[in-house]
Amino acid sequence: MKVLVGDPGKCKLVHACEAACAKVLHKKTGRPHAAIRVDPVEGQPRFQVCNQCGECITVCPTGALTRAKSGIVLLKKDLCVACYMCVGFCPSLSMVRAEGVLPPFKCISCGQCVKACPEKALSLVEQPHEGLPS
Amino acid sequence: MITVNGDPLEHEEGLTVQGILEAKNYKFPLLIAFVNGKLVKREDYRTTVVPDGAVVQITHLMGGG
Amino acid sequence: MAYDYTKRTDLKGDVDKQKQAHKVLKEITFKPALPQRGYNDRTLYVNLTDLTIEERPVTQQMKDKFIGGRGFGLWFLWNATQASTRWNDPENELIIAPGPLAGNTQYPGSGKSLVVTLSPMTDIPIDCNVGGYFGPLMKFCGFDALEIQGKAARDVILVIDGPKGRIAIEEAPLENVDSHVAAEVFTHQYADDEKDLPNVSVVSAGRAADHTRIGCLNFSWYDLRRKATRLKQAGRGGTGTVFRDKKLKALVVHGFPVKGDQNNPADLERIARIGVKMHKELHDFDDSQCHMRRQGTAHLVEIMDAYDLLPVHNFQYGNHPDTPRINSQVWDKRFTQGIPDGCWYGCSMACSKGADEHQVMTGPYRGHSNTVDGPEYETAAGVGANCGIFDPDWLLECNFYCDVYGIDTISFGTLCAFCMECWQRGILNAERTGGLEIKFGSGPAQLELMHQMAEGRGFGLIAGQGVARMKKIFAEKGWGEAQLLNDIGMEVKGLEFSQYMSKESLAQQGGYSLTNKGPQHDEAWLIFMDMVNKQIPTFEDKAEALFYFPIFRTWFGLNGLCKLPWNDIEPADNARTPEPAKVPEHVQNYCELFAGITGREIDRHELLRMSRGVYNFQRVFNLRQGKGQRAHDRPPYRAVGPVTVEEYTSRAERYDKQLKEILGVDPAGKSVEEKMALTREHREAQYEKLMDAVYKRRGWTPNGVPTLETLKEVGMDFPELVAVVEQHL
Repeated sequence: MKVLVGDPGKCKLVHACEAACAKVLHKKTGRPHAAIRVDPVEGQPRFQVCNQCGECITVCPTGALTRAKSGIVLLKKDLCVACYMCVGFCPSLSMVRAEGVLPPFKCISCGQCVKACPEKALSLVEQPHEGLPS
Repeated sequence: MITVNGDPLEHEEGLTVQGILEAKNYKFPLLIAFVNGKLVKREDYRTTVVPDGAVVQITHLMGGG
Repeated sequence: MAYDYTKRTDLKGDVDKQKQAHKVLKEITFKPALPQRGYNDRTLYVNLTDLTIEERPVTQQMKDKFIGGRGFGLWFLWNATQASTRWNDPENELIIAPGPLAGNTQYPGSGKSLVVTLSPMTDIPIDCNVGGYFGPLMKFCGFDALEIQGKAARDVILVIDGPKGRIAIEEAPLENVDSHVAAEVFTHQYADDEKDLPNVSVVSAGRAADHTRIGCLNFSWYDLRRKATRLKQAGRGGTGTVFRDKKLKALVVHGFPVKGDQNNPADLERIARIGVKMHKELHDFDDSQCHMRRQGTAHLVEIMDAYDLLPVHNFQYGNHPDTPRINSQVWDKRFTQGIPDGCWYGCSMACSKGADEHQVMTGPYRGHSNTVDGPEYETAAGVGANCGIFDPDWLLECNFYCDVYGIDTISFGTLCAFCMECWQRGILNAERTGGLEIKFGSGPAQLELMHQMAEGRGFGLIAGQGVARMKKIFAEKGWGEAQLLNDIGMEVKGLEFSQYMSKESLAQQGGYSLTNKGPQHDEAWLIFMDMVNKQIPTFEDKAEALFYFPIFRTWFGLNGLCKLPWNDIEPADNARTPEPAKVPEHVQNYCELFAGITGREIDRHELLRMSRGVYNFQRVFNLRQGKGQRAHDRPPYRAVGPVTVEEYTSRAERYDKQLKEILGVDPAGKSVEEKMALTREHREAQYEKLMDAVYKRRGWTPNGVPTLETLKEVGMDFPELVAVVEQHL
């Protein structure tokens, strides 16, 4: 599966990734609607974004969260009851909820932020997903 | 001698909050410990030494079905 | 060994054939609707005698005074019945009401239904708080409550079908009444397809509810992972007995697919925010606090044993060397881990654990492989430790059949333990029980008693009447002395005690006995505050706790919420708050949740005011039915102190010390009997003083009757309530 990975050495905290993400997911511009957040932590950029670990799949009561063949964890909106347990139980706090949007959302490794980043700080990296929750 | 929740308990050198929990068989997970009125955090139970003469309050919250 | 949670005996059989045998007695069409800000402002009334099905409006006064849930249930029941009405009169009602907050999917523990009826155990109202999907699915079809009155001539089901806009009473002659089968069959009958299964919920009892007074109701939900229906119980007080007396086989609701905003809340963002905060709290702290997500309430077994609070041998003792055989480590392995076990969407406390692949050892389902819902703490303590049975397989067997047959595990555990002690003391013997050797420690005997209840035969018919009636029956037959039977029969107002030892906690004696419905710990659990922490030493302190907690906890039942996420998880900084036992941050969450859904801002004082009205209303209701006075609030002595020499001796050091320090009596040279008599005199006097203090704090007379000033203060000075109270002033 392709997992989004950020390079703190290259990132200049211009937040272009957040804008690109909010646009592709919700046709919005603001950071609250993005599935990626970049913030400085002790002087270094920290990328808060889904690593496709699948913990959310195990807590979802409706089966709305599943792992696609590609390995990416996807949310089926029609099955989601907006309980947000996945939000509270995400180990990396990368399942996001935004005001005015009922279902939560997450990074689906679409790559739009990779293209948008002027510093080339983001990339999609192939990682194995055998043994992870499906 | 110290008191724990109002009852006397023999004091030993090096007695910790954790030691008191074991001596009193306090197994409930939702506890709040005060030693001489000062709150002791859960992660410090094993390292907090209780002096002789201390007044200890181990408050059990409720829980329960 | 590993258990497979997808494997079980198929119970559905030929679903279509059974459905074809239904005969529609009455059907109406209705317009499904969603609530606005938590209320539909519409309830459903059904009369099984004359086949009335009608919609009724909810008034603003009902919402102001009774809020919803248990409050609505009590109000309907009050209006439908009279002082002379008993449980099996046709006018008795069975009411199921969620509450204005029920059905939200964001805050853990928000899917509860409240069941209210006149109890066959107590002759006063009983209220049960139960999970499963029925209440919320019904609410999202458009009804804030369901009132069922009258009695059918033959076995019927009531179907509320939202998507089809249809409500019907149908004769259903072929289906099995036993709950695990009934829930499975009716769910498949009324779901459109496999995807639709979670949108159906069934309420059912079981065959033992036909022959006993301790029948319970099972509320189902469809477990997607297990691909099976699961059950939660409205356990106490004989709700299932009333249900079967009305010839109800099942209630079926077929609802719409659940979404996260169907309450049309005033401020979804606000409830989402506190919901996520709670999910995060459970994620971060449950593993180091109560392990509710892995073990449910069964985590309490060894804790209660450690504090001498686990009832053993009919509440004689508080611990047992064999407790490790049924403790949380056993259940941790026996429960399937890592799948969501909430009894409603969004419950991240997820305590509805299931033991899969239980191989049924006895009775009509012998040889079947089934999922057992639980055991919860009360069941493990009641049918296990209290009966001296420390075998997890027999415990699961008993839990399984209690649910299947529609029997309350708590009453069953306590009455079975009572029978076992009667055997121990020679009050019962093989001749009197028809050959049933009902001895402490015997799983097979316990199950035989259960099957007798289910089949309506033998000693099971007597035991199924409950402890209060058994005491009377035994005394009349000259089996044992009335005094001993009264001392060891663990019931108040006709209801059996739940499973905590109150002997060393005066406050908890009140927590059990000064309750509205009978000795259930859902009003107040004060043992740690009182006995261990020694935070409430004076009568006034204890009275304050017995004022606050019952009122506070009533609020969960008014709103369709579960109590557990209030204090079985604790925020990180709870210890630093002035009153950690109240978990102030969570109380604030509830105020926000109420405001977020209904749009009405409340604070913690207003929260109490809402509950206090209904609590006092229920007390007056009890009074109208002939109870609700001081004489009905006294516990059996077993709940207060040592009844027997063995009990005294088992804690001699403690009791001797109390004689010396509290009464100034030197125990040396006194016989155990003399010391027991002194202890008893003292403890019973203490309890009387506790009653005085509590009644005063609650604004009641020394006879336990709410004063007119109190009724006025809590907004319950309706003329009809005043008239009841005035007879006792």
